[in-house]
Amino acid sequence: MELKQAADFLDGILREQKIEKYGFFLNQSEKQELNIENGEFKLLRTVFNNNTSVNVFLGTKTGSAGGNAMTEEGLRKVVEEAKAAAESASEDPCHDIAPGQGKELYRRGIYEPDMEKFIERIREFLDTVAKEYPEVRIMASIGSFDRWHWLSRNTNGTEFEGIGGQYHFSIEICASDGERTTGLDYTGIAMKTLGQPLIELGDIRRHLEDIRRSIHPETLEGKFEGTLILTPGCAANFIFMTLSNYICDGVIINGTSQWLDKVGEQVADEKLTITLDPYDERIISGECGTASGFRSEKVTLIEKGVLKTHWLSLYGANKTGRPVVKNTGSDLVVTPGDKTLEELIASVDKGLIIGYYSGGQPGTNGEFSGVAKNSFLIENGKIKGAVTETMVNGNLGEAFRKIRGISREVLCDGGSVVPYIAVDGIVISGK
Amino acid sequence: MLQDIIGSKTGLFADGVQTVLRGHENRSRRVVLLKGNLVQNSRSDSAGINARVNNHGTFGFASIAEYTPEAAEKVIRAATENAIALGKHSGRNLPLPVSAGTGTVPLNAKIVDAEQKELIEMCKTVDGYIEKKYPDLTSRTVVYYEDSQDRIVYTSDAYNGHLVTPRCYVFVMMSAETKDGVPVELFKAFGGFGSFYDHFSDPEKLYPGIDELYKKLMDKKEGVYAEAGYKTVVLGSMMGGMLAHEAVGHTVEADLVRGGSVAGPNLNKRVASDLVTMVDFAHTYNGTPAALPVFLDDEGTRAEDVVLIRDGILTGYMNDRESAAEYGMTPAGNARGWTFTDEPIIRMRNTCILPGKNTVEELIASVDDGYYLIDSGNGQADLTGEFMFGVTCGYEIKNGKLGKALLDTTVTGIAFEMLKTVDMVSDKVEWSSSGFCGKKQPMAVGMGGPHMRCKITIGGR
Repeated sequence: MELKQAADFLDGILREQKIEKYGFFLNQSEKQELNIENGEFKLLRTVFNNNTSVNVFLGTKTGSAGGNAMTEEGLRKVVEEAKAAAESASEDPCHDIAPGQGKELYRRGIYEPDMEKFIERIREFLDTVAKEYPEVRIMASIGSFDRWHWLSRNTNGTEFEGIGGQYHFSIEICASDGERTTGLDYTGIAMKTLGQPLIELGDIRRHLEDIRRSIHPETLEGKFEGTLILTPGCAANFIFMTLSNYICDGVIINGTSQWLDKVGEQVADEKLTITLDPYDERIISGECGTASGFRSEKVTLIEKGVLKTHWLSLYGANKTGRPVVKNTGSDLVVTPGDKTLEELIASVDKGLIIGYYSGGQPGTNGEFSGVAKNSFLIENGKIKGAVTETMVNGNLGEAFRKIRGISREVLCDGGSVVPYIAVDGIVISGK
Repeated sequence: MLQDIIGSKTGLFADGVQTVLRGHENRSRRVVLLKGNLVQNSRSDSAGINARVNNHGTFGFASIAEYTPEAAEKVIRAATENAIALGKHSGRNLPLPVSAGTGTVPLNAKIVDAEQKELIEMCKTVDGYIEKKYPDLTSRTVVYYEDSQDRIVYTSDAYNGHLVTPRCYVFVMMSAETKDGVPVELFKAFGGFGSFYDHFSDPEKLYPGIDELYKKLMDKKEGVYAEAGYKTVVLGSMMGGMLAHEAVGHTVEADLVRGGSVAGPNLNKRVASDLVTMVDFAHTYNGTPAALPVFLDDEGTRAEDVVLIRDGILTGYMNDRESAAEYGMTPAGNARGWTFTDEPIIRMRNTCILPGKNTVEELIASVDDGYYLIDSGNGQADLTGEFMFGVTCGYEIKNGKLGKALLDTTVTGIAFEMLKTVDMVSDKVEWSSSGFCGKKQPMAVGMGGPHMRCKITIGGR
């Protein structure tokens, strides 16, 4: 069934069932994916998929159901299951859908790929790595093109439609000198054109350089308190852990957030500004609408270290009496700083530049403890060798209050825009 | 459950290649009560068909979100075309793996679906128990989560069959505050393989476990940070299972061995003390069903156990058909895909370090100054076997006795070095199966282990 036909059919069933309040989301997608293993083209994968999701309200009760069958029978089943779930739910007036937002068509990325060109670019990448980085092994690499057409509609008169597509390229690499092999490293990038060699995009070249320099890591002895320079991917991870721990629905609703009453107050160093911006030109497929039906907006969560708002859904906002944030995406944009990465490194007496944090989601107290992977020791303003079996320990809230500096350079990987962030007061320990 | 509507399409398999046709349905059910508020109440069923064609080392895969005979025809054609098209760009030209036998593997179980209202009522009952009995908690969350896979597999030169993997869990999370107002949390999973009625018809059966969780949380309220460094520890069974899966299991997956994992040069060498034997069980452990039984994989290989480490010596890898041919091993049913959109890749099933002879009490009593690490929230490892496990529940051990509880910390090490320090192993194994393993696709896996005394690097302030 075509998308709009399926949407109209769903409207019809829901009205038949005398359901007066509902919202739904339908998506038809296609993926073309080339899988490379150990430098060889191994698998070509084609995926045609659908997603259906219906949210039904019966008074103040709500339930939802989903599936992928975009047939009359499949859509009827989803409606029946959503209705049954709503009938079983508890009364809760805080569940709601956004006021009417009108209709809007969103186009993102490109819709028609040039797969032959993409394969050429991937071949070029593999050849370049073999020539310039002979120690590096491309264990796995995936080049994919994803195309989507989705539609969301609700009974407040909102209808959003999205059409788009993007290329994505990722690598999983290690390096070896014939005797020793490094651990794994990963990176990836989303893009809408194939104008540049893949090796020059995002931070792919930095990852290749770093893994090449990691074949003979050293084990640190003892522990010290020092500076952690978070590479952009790692910084994004730390930021999302922080947002999840301090300002998301769960911790605000249950009252366990340590930033529960901190809106308007300084919670981080004044160098830190964090924005969610689905309309930033460097982000390819930013969020268009939220699950509850708001048109997504640019939202600044932390400005010059001051917490501007909690990051609440419509439900979270209604439950706590706080403002809703009309963005539930991951379109992270962190404002760059005034120092180069080189200057940041030069300012550090002792610390690490960390490629990847291997650790769990910290508890609500913000304490983190994990392994510094793909990381290098910094001493007296200079990068020394790679380290292994090295742990980093600290507190998320404290770390962002002790920002030494933020780099001018930013990583744009098609999904976010993030600089290097140097934080002080981290306990770094070896064996 | 899936009806067999695809078996008649095997006549469309091309000659001279290996083809697998798979009908696959995933179902999930989810209820979340946060402090008594129903914040999630959802169900989802997704089904489709895929085909994978091996054209002498170049693979084509195609899937469609329909479970119909017409969709089966389309994916067979598209996967065959993909394999041929990629062959023009690929230098691969490998002999096709030999057949390890043909036949039919019968359906192993049934999926029984409970109504959403039953799930919600059960969660409310559990939540009500916690709210009434433990009003001093700052927060509580009760989650019901269920997923199931239902797959029908037809192959050109291997086994056909029908396999279902239903599993369901209740997760209970509790939060409290230390005297300084710092939040601390613990969680516990109940349930396992099977359907709602197998595990949760009587919610009262969960109460002893909930009471134990609360007691540990009260201990953690008074907890201390671990002292960072290289320490003697007793790893609990859940930690042992995590070690088996993350730190060792991934390094002996043949696709990662091919990529350069530490297991490659260590085959038939000592990688652990002679107290350590580790097996990836297919469907049966010690005469009873394994945590998540697997009888047939998505290449049509009948599932058998794989002994990975025997008495400390690395003895084998987990394979798909192609890697088994490459390494001269026998495929044992490790190639699995999570949804109908996923090609099969090498995955663990029920990975476990086997029990030893000591009691847990003996292990703890043997430690003068160290830690008892009980539960882990997560873990990761890489090709070198360097691993990281988050520790959410643990205690100090002083002079052979348990001391103060620990606040959250992390342990790390190099698996094949750390396993050589194992010098005591307990006589009982515990299993868990509630997590997902992530490796391109998610996958439900079982993991188990005994308690072990060993040396490990622990993080701390």
